[in-house]
Amino acid sequence: MSLVAEAFVSQIAGKVPFIHVGNQVVSELGPIVQFVKAKGHSLSDGLDEVQKAEMKAYMELVNNMLLTAELYLQWCDEATVGEITHARYGSPYPWPLNHILAYQKQWEVRRKMKAIGWGKKTLDQVLEDVDQCCQALSQRLGTQPYFFNKQPTELDALVFGHLYTILTTQLTSDELSEKVKNYSNLLAFCRRIEQHYFEDRGKGSSSIRLS
Amino acid sequence: MAAPLELSCWGGGWGLPSVHSESLVVMAYAKFSGAPLKVNVIDNTWRGSRGDVPILTTKDNIVSQPAKILNFLRKQKYNADYELSARQGADTLAYIALLEEKLLPAVLHTFWVENDNYFTVTKPWFASRIPFPLSLILPGRMSKGALNRILLTRGEPPLYHLREVEAQIYRDAKECLNLLSHRLGTSQFFFGDMPSTLDAYVFGFLAPLYKVRFPKVQLQEHLKQLSNLCRFCDDILNSYFRHSLGAFSCVNRNQQQTDFGEASLLLDKKRSMPICRNSPSL
Repeated sequence: MSLVAEAFVSQIAGKVPFIHVGNQVVSELGPIVQFVKAKGHSLSDGLDEVQKAEMKAYMELVNNMLLTAELYLQWCDEATVGEITHARYGSPYPWPLNHILAYQKQWEVRRKMKAIGWGKKTLDQVLEDVDQCCQALSQRLGTQPYFFNKQPTELDALVFGHLYTILTTQLTSDELSEKVKNYSNLLAFCRRIEQHYFEDRGKGSSSIRLS
Repeated sequence: MAAPLELSCWGGGWGLPSVHSESLVVMAYAKFSGAPLKVNVIDNTWRGSRGDVPILTTKDNIVSQPAKILNFLRKQKYNADYELSARQGADTLAYIALLEEKLLPAVLHTFWVENDNYFTVTKPWFASRIPFPLSLILPGRMSKGALNRILLTRGEPPLYHLREVEAQIYRDAKECLNLLSHRLGTSQFFFGDMPSTLDAYVFGFLAPLYKVRFPKVQLQEHLKQLSNLCRFCDDILNSYFRHSLGAFSCVNRNQQQTDFGEASLLLDKKRSMPICRNSPSL
C-alpha cells in the first residue's frame, strides 16, 4: 500500500508516478500494481472472485468519471484553462513552445472528450457526474474504514489519489472540491489514509494538510 | 405519463429486437420498467434521423443517449431500480463504467473495425437500412467513429500500434466477461429476481455479441464459454421479447440477401423462437 500511495504523492507534486526498485523504474499505476504483485505483494489477494469483480468495476467508475471530470476541468473549462492550465503545462518550455504544446494538448483532450460523448457537456453536468460518482463511492464505503473492510486495496489507493488531488489542488473555483466535501465519510477516509500512511514519514515527503 | 413515448432505433436480426447495443439497452429497460414504448425502427426511407440513435420522442421532449433516456423514463415513474438498495445503486454505476471502459472497445472493434466482420456483416446490414446515397457515407462514418473512440481512449503510450491496442482491448474484454460471469453466478439477474438497469446494460452489450453471426469471432467464442451469461441473454429474450420477435422479423426483408446466417434465420411467426442454423464457418 505504501508504495502505491507514495506513487500518488509524487503525482500530486506534478510528476508522473514512478517507483525505483534496484535498477528498474516502473511508472503509471497499472504497471506499478502489476510489478508489485509480481514481487509477491498484492493488496487484493484476500478478496474472492466476486469482490475482485466489484473492485475492478469501482476502479473503472473512478477512471470513467473522476479522471475524465478532472481532465475536463483542466482543459475544457475556459476559465481554468486560461488562468492555470496553459501556464502550468507550458512552464517547462521556452516560448513559443510553451503555447504550442499547451494548445496541442488542449486540442487532443477536446477530441477525446468528443469521442466519448463529453464534448457537449456543460460544467454543471460534469459537476453533477462527479457528485453522482462521489455518492456511489460514499455509499459503497459506508462506515467501513476501507472499501473492502479492514484492509486497503488498489481501489482505496486509487480513490485516495483522486480525492486528495481534488481536495488539495487550487483551481479557479471550489465547486469540485465542494462536491467531494459533501460526503463526510469520504473526507474521513482521505484524512485517515493521510494520517496513517503519510504523516509518520517526518519531513521526507510532501504532505499537505487536508483542512 | 399518458404522453406517448416513441423510440427511434436500429432494427433487429439474428433473433434480437435490435442489433445496436444502445438501442437494445433502452428497449430492455423499457420492458423491465413497464414503460409503454412505441418502437419506430429505422428503415431506408428518409423518414426520421439517424444521428445519435436511439432517440426518445414525447410530445414535448426529444432525448438521446441511453443514460439520459433511462433517466427520463425514471422521472416519468418507470423505474426498474425501485427495489434496489443505495449500495446496489452504487454497484450499478460501477459495473456500467466497467462495461463502457473494458467491454465496449472490443465490441466496437468486432462490429466496426475488424475488416472481415465490417465488410461482410455490419456494413451491408446498416447500408440496407439507410437511404441512398447516405448509405454510401454513413456506415463508413460510423466505422471511423468507432475506430476513433478506440484509439483515443485506449491508444495511449506505451501502446503505439493498432495491433497492440487490439490485443489489449480484447484481453480486457475477455477479463470483463469473466468478471461479469463471476458476479452473476447462478442468479437469474444481477440483483436478485427482478431485472434492473444493470441487467438492461449487460443485455444490451452482450446480446448482439452473442447472437450476430460474424466471420471473426474470438470474443464471441469466449462469451459462449460463459454459459451463465448466455443463459442470461436467452432468458431475457424469451421472457421479455418473445412476442415482439415476430414483428421485428418483417423488417428484415432486405433487398440484398446476405448469405452468412441471416438468410437461414427463419422467423416463423407461429413459433416464438427463431430457428438458428449453426454456421460451420465460425
